[in-house]
Amino acid sequence: MMRNKADNKNIKAALTIATAALLGGNSTVSAETVNSTDDSAWEFDSAFLFYSEADRVSASEAIFNAKKTFEDDEVLNLKLTVDALTGASANGAVAQPNVQTFTRPSGNGQYDVAPGDTPLDDTFRDTRVQINGQWTQTVADDLTASGGVHLSKEYDYLSLGINGNLAIDFDRKNTTFSLGFSYFQDTFTPEGGIPKPFASMLIGDSSDPGWDEEFAKTRIGSEDDKTTTDILLGITQVINRRMIMQFNYSYSMVDGYLTDPFKIMTVVDNDGLAQDYVYESRPDSRVKQSFYAQSLYHFDTTVLDVSYRYMWDDWEITSHTIDSRFRIPLSDSFGTESYLQPHFRFYQQGAADFYRPFMMENDPKPAFASADYRIGEMTAYTLGIKYGRLINNGHELSFRLEYYRQTPTDAGFDEPGVLKEVELYPSIDAIIAQVTYSF
Amino acid sequence: MKNNRLVSINNHQDGYALNFQAMASPCEVLIQTRNRQLAVRVGDVVANEVWRIEDKYSRYDQLSVCSIINNSAGQAISIDKETYLLLNFAEQCYQLSEGLFDITSGILRKAWHFDGGEKLPSQAQIAACLSYVGWPQVQFNPEQITLAKGMEIDFGGLGKEYAVDRAIILVKELTDLPVLVNLGGDLAVTSARLTNIPWQVAIEHPDAHGAGNSSPTDMIISLSSGALATSGDARRFLLKDGKRYSHVLNAKTGWPIQDAPRSMTVVAPACIQAGILATMALLQGENAEQFLTEQEIKFWSRR
Amino acid sequence: MNIMNKAKVVLLISLSITASGCSSLGVEPWERDLLSKKEMTLTASPIDSALDDHIYFSKEASSGGKGFGGGGCGCN
Repeated sequence: MMRNKADNKNIKAALTIATAALLGGNSTVSAETVNSTDDSAWEFDSAFLFYSEADRVSASEAIFNAKKTFEDDEVLNLKLTVDALTGASANGAVAQPNVQTFTRPSGNGQYDVAPGDTPLDDTFRDTRVQINGQWTQTVADDLTASGGVHLSKEYDYLSLGINGNLAIDFDRKNTTFSLGFSYFQDTFTPEGGIPKPFASMLIGDSSDPGWDEEFAKTRIGSEDDKTTTDILLGITQVINRRMIMQFNYSYSMVDGYLTDPFKIMTVVDNDGLAQDYVYESRPDSRVKQSFYAQSLYHFDTTVLDVSYRYMWDDWEITSHTIDSRFRIPLSDSFGTESYLQPHFRFYQQGAADFYRPFMMENDPKPAFASADYRIGEMTAYTLGIKYGRLINNGHELSFRLEYYRQTPTDAGFDEPGVLKEVELYPSIDAIIAQVTYSF
Repeated sequence: MKNNRLVSINNHQDGYALNFQAMASPCEVLIQTRNRQLAVRVGDVVANEVWRIEDKYSRYDQLSVCSIINNSAGQAISIDKETYLLLNFAEQCYQLSEGLFDITSGILRKAWHFDGGEKLPSQAQIAACLSYVGWPQVQFNPEQITLAKGMEIDFGGLGKEYAVDRAIILVKELTDLPVLVNLGGDLAVTSARLTNIPWQVAIEHPDAHGAGNSSPTDMIISLSSGALATSGDARRFLLKDGKRYSHVLNAKTGWPIQDAPRSMTVVAPACIQAGILATMALLQGENAEQFLTEQEIKFWSRR
Repeated sequence: MNIMNKAKVVLLISLSITASGCSSLGVEPWERDLLSKKEMTLTASPIDSALDDHIYFSKEASSGGKGFGGGGCGCN
């Protein structure tokens, strides 16, 4: 028997009318279900994300998350993340009216950048594997404890971490205080070693017999490390039946090698012409603090999620982040549920005190300097939309598409000579596409 | 059965369970309250309503409205509003299923005996029954119904689900507290449980034997409003030459529907909707899941 | 005298706001129908959050706040 979809839809609608006639309009309630095949079964989430910047890097990231809830509400969460990055990344130097030649971070070979172009190192290629395990359990009536481990490995980077969290509920679980701690130990082994701060980039013929010896003089070692200690204090408060809020304060101490070994700076003369390229140098500690507030409000059917974060650190970077999502359900009374979720994020940051887009030849050498636009002044926004659908047997499929634009801005640096003619603060546009399947 | 009409009360988690037998099934009312008096009252109201519907529409009970209609031998029988509404609903189901669902098809049971054995009826036996099947031949209006001699109607495919919906309506008049009414696996809830937890419903695996103990392969569904109904019965089938004949019959051919899932569970605002959708899906045979998917209805099927 | 009264009134108002503010916050267990929905959890989609954190951690100078900002990758 052949039926088209429209006919089938009529069956559902006609049956609703027939039922109302039979039961006297008492059947207008809708059905709401959540299902799982077994209470203590594993739940899986898998996601694939593609990130692509126009003319720069593109990255693919896959996550597989497995969660098991045991009988006493203990939760084991295991997560595997694999990502691959390829493409070109800004090396920190400024555009020039002439062709520029740079040495690759490994010391093996050179690359040229056309006049007027922002110098990009196109040898970026990395694959990362990350494993996380987290155990959460109730230790007393109103006390929940959680502990986890983290391992992340790249070709040139290893990160090991642990974390712990305690949450205490008060007032019928309407108020929750939480205290968290995390510690990371990272080791960086960049190909070509760790460059000497402010050493001039060696440019020339890398096949020359004396090259390796000369290149080694710009290096201070083969690896370096850093530690990150985070403390997080939080309070979650149920306001009323429709609203919940969270406030967090976090304190983060990073110590060790915080410089980017792949980033250089242009040293220019009074005409703005490049005289030298030197490796950047950052302080060996950074203390970051942030205040975070989030609120969720449930309207009749829709849910608004808004958060704000203010971050400040001893590099004198400050930032404001506003993130908001609005979930619009598209469900019917037969258990099918789907939703649309627009997303808007706004980010604004001030520059680090040692950030400068380039160095002047005749200026005294500063203690620290970096031309990495990521610690300069910038504004960024993200616009996105997500569509999710609950499918049969409790599985959920969702798609997310976002547009991310970063606009580095001038924090008031003088632009001598030719630097007035070139783009010092190029914008970056990226597209983020994601598919998630939960089962 | 009527001598067995008792409602027993038991503690159940943070409330009470009221248990009784009706429509050849174990029935259960769960109420989340510590008020024992209220629990007893709700249990009595539900049990009485279910028994009332059973008495009125059971084809096994010679005094039931159903039997009076079936024994009318072509005479017009006057009916009340409730019966008219049920017949009207059956009419809608017949139309919507394009004749696959037909409450006059129960007579085919005289040819088919789904006892797990391998004895198939002959085509002649089936044809003999089929001549008494055909909803369009039934004449009815709000006052009366006329059934041709030899024909029978059977509310078995609707009665239990209808009883669940009627019970929920009556319970809501008594209390706002969360109540679940479960009549042999067809069930509905008035709301989510207090403390925000949905009701956890276990759907027995078709291969599980005996009721009560949930086997590890049971499916757990959380329900916070609306109803669930399951069609299909693992214990009613014929097995011949390795082929399984389910008890779901095509009212047009008189033969079992082929390649239907062994059971189909559907969620809907009302139990009678869930039940009819589950049955209509089974009647689509191998396209059962597709049928519900196209209509964007949530289901759980077992093959 | 006038000033005194005013101060008292202001104090009383602020006290009553605090008092009523406290008592009206929160819900009874049976009022958690909306809060119990998955979309009302503070991190409704942990996967999205993890992916976003990674992107913004590697592209901006800020991280964390909602959860740990930590290290974990050599991407910045």
